[in-house]
Amino acid sequence: MGLFKLIKAELKAIFSNSDILLTVFGGVIFYSFLYPLPYTQQTPQEQQITVINLDSSQLSRQLERMVDATAQVKIVKRAHSIEEAKAQFLKGDVRGILLIPKHFNRDLLLGKSPVLSYSGDASYFLVYGTIVEGLAKAGGTLAAQATVSRLVIDGVPLELATQQYAQVKLNMKPTFNPTIGYLNYVVPAVFVLILQQTLIMGVGLLGGSEKMNEGYWHQYSPFLILAARSFIFVGIYYLLALYYFGFSFEFYGVNKLASHTVILALLAPFLLTSTFIGILLGAILPRRELVTFIVLISSMPLIFSTGFIWPLESVPLPMIWLSNLFPSTPAIQSFLMVNQMGAEFSQVMAQWKLLWMQVVVWGVLAYFSYQRVQRRRIKAK
Amino acid sequence: MMTATKLPQWGLLKSDRWLLSSLTWIPILLALSIWWVFSQGIAKDLPVGVVDLQQSALSRQLVREFDATSTLKVDHTFNDVGAAKSAFISNEIYAYIVIPKNFDRDIKISNAPQVTVFYNSQYILVGKLINSAALQAHGTFNAQIATLKQMAKGNSNQLAAISKAVRIRTQITPLFNKNSNYAQFLVSAIVPALWQISIVVSTILFLTANYRRYGLKKMVGKNPLSQLISISSFYLPFFIMQGASFLIWFYYILNWPMEGSLLPLFFAQLVTVIACMVMGALFFFYALDPAKAMSFAGAFSAPSFAFMGVTFPVTDMNMVAQVWRSLLPISHYIEAQISQVSYGASAWQTVSDFMPSMLGYLLPLLLTLLLIKKQLRKLENNNGSI
Repeated sequence: MGLFKLIKAELKAIFSNSDILLTVFGGVIFYSFLYPLPYTQQTPQEQQITVINLDSSQLSRQLERMVDATAQVKIVKRAHSIEEAKAQFLKGDVRGILLIPKHFNRDLLLGKSPVLSYSGDASYFLVYGTIVEGLAKAGGTLAAQATVSRLVIDGVPLELATQQYAQVKLNMKPTFNPTIGYLNYVVPAVFVLILQQTLIMGVGLLGGSEKMNEGYWHQYSPFLILAARSFIFVGIYYLLALYYFGFSFEFYGVNKLASHTVILALLAPFLLTSTFIGILLGAILPRRELVTFIVLISSMPLIFSTGFIWPLESVPLPMIWLSNLFPSTPAIQSFLMVNQMGAEFSQVMAQWKLLWMQVVVWGVLAYFSYQRVQRRRIKAK
Repeated sequence: MMTATKLPQWGLLKSDRWLLSSLTWIPILLALSIWWVFSQGIAKDLPVGVVDLQQSALSRQLVREFDATSTLKVDHTFNDVGAAKSAFISNEIYAYIVIPKNFDRDIKISNAPQVTVFYNSQYILVGKLINSAALQAHGTFNAQIATLKQMAKGNSNQLAAISKAVRIRTQITPLFNKNSNYAQFLVSAIVPALWQISIVVSTILFLTANYRRYGLKKMVGKNPLSQLISISSFYLPFFIMQGASFLIWFYYILNWPMEGSLLPLFFAQLVTVIACMVMGALFFFYALDPAKAMSFAGAFSAPSFAFMGVTFPVTDMNMVAQVWRSLLPISHYIEAQISQVSYGASAWQTVSDFMPSMLGYLLPLLLTLLLIKKQLRKLENNNGSI
């Protein structure tokens, strides 16, 4: 009878099941270290490039030094021709090429605007971006210097000349992730997905395990089982979420702008829905390992359709509808907004409402699927 | 082959709906869903706001330059920064431009007014796109102003006027992946990562099915290696077909640029499939429990996209990350794929770069055989004690 006794039995079933413990606690802790591992350096730096200096004037060497001084690129090789540079590239010695044309110095003095060519490996998006950024920076600085010195030659006072060199200054302000760190980009979103996926697997494994055996779970109404199970798992995951949003974020230096109450409020429907999905999968799938299978293969489509990697404006509408059926989508969106961008709770209302709608829908599905398993059991007897 | 009786697989496959699905329509559906997300190819018309404190013809011209880029769409106007910020935080816009007061006057007296663009760098990819679009718009606008000014000063020749203003021109050529199409870039790496997951977990599923029907002894009792090969060789063609189909789909049907040849890649895929199957078998015979084996497979293969080095460069990963990366078959495969698709390397170069690291999978294979022996011994001891 009693709910208290049921909760005790559930706790015992969970903590004596090594598969569940491995997935829930092992998984959450293992991933908290594994996932951020590639990104600990945050921004790609010092991409190795080769330089073809066809000018070899003092100015061109100054440009080389300026390029080398940027954080983004490092000159590690030289080449005398484009063919040679390409060969160095294909051998994997360098990731980018800078070509300083012949008469670079002379053309600049004559005001003839020489053309600097540079290229990077665009098959690797960040490598390319970093090289282009570094070279553009150095080129821009040199161009600015040249313009200023030209203005000074024209008779403009130096102080005025430095102000004049650009007609309109552009100040690009990266916001919410000012260092453009990759860890700050990936971790806050992926950790939410890890919470969901391990929770679904844990709950699903429990349901799958008990289907094979006789036990207390057949003596309670599906409603009570659902209530007790979600109470326990949501409780456990509140703790694990605190580990992620508290310790891990602190450890990796990720923004924590949201207040505790906002985090707790968002977690409630998110964890409830995930529990219900776990109950549903455990009930409808014929074997335990299939829960893990489904969860595993669904992770990539789920993460790429949440809009934090690829803008939602460019995702086909039906795909967005589909992804909104799962808690990770509104959860990732709202957690990023409140915790990374400092949004108010009222600004994530749409996501919060969607999460509660999911609670109802997945809850009903979980209830009926569990009831069906119980009924079939009775019939089999 | 050995005399070990060949265990029939067709019946097994037909009776196991999930195994059949995991080998056929599920991987196809997954690959299609990923492609669908990125099917637009390039992100365009990202919503951007503007706070124009000048409200002049000149400031509107600057806004038009932003709007004219294919990436940005300036479709929100705000009267003050507070309103813009609030829309920015609630994700209605990805960036907002602030044009200062006295913008016109400062340009006229050459006092270089400063335009500020706040852009969302939490979404790094979007942020980078906005950044380069803004730089482009800014460059065009400045060149226009400068040219106008020079011409006003009497430099009537427009080209000379331009060159006096913009002193060093730059020409940026992306080497490889020439159109910088993100769909191709991401999809051609995500799909192989999914393929790896699918092979490892399907291997566990078919080993489980054999284990359930035939038991450990009948399955691998006589000669583990040849029996394992005999079972796996039935499933190998499914994985080969999956791999070949995504390559053909990308580079023949969708016609994405391909510099090299598919032949060395088919070979690399064959080796990759074997390596993935070895890893699946390792997990299975270690746990001898499908649920546990599946958990290990998940821990091993699920984060592999992060480690492939396609988004974040390998050279910037720390030692531990590089070691973990080298354990994943797909990170070796993707290098082979890029060397063919992007660099058009010779077949021999690709294969000779690829093979040495793949020979490393003989070690887990050896481990698997040892684990089978151990599990068989355990089985016998248990039987003996009963």
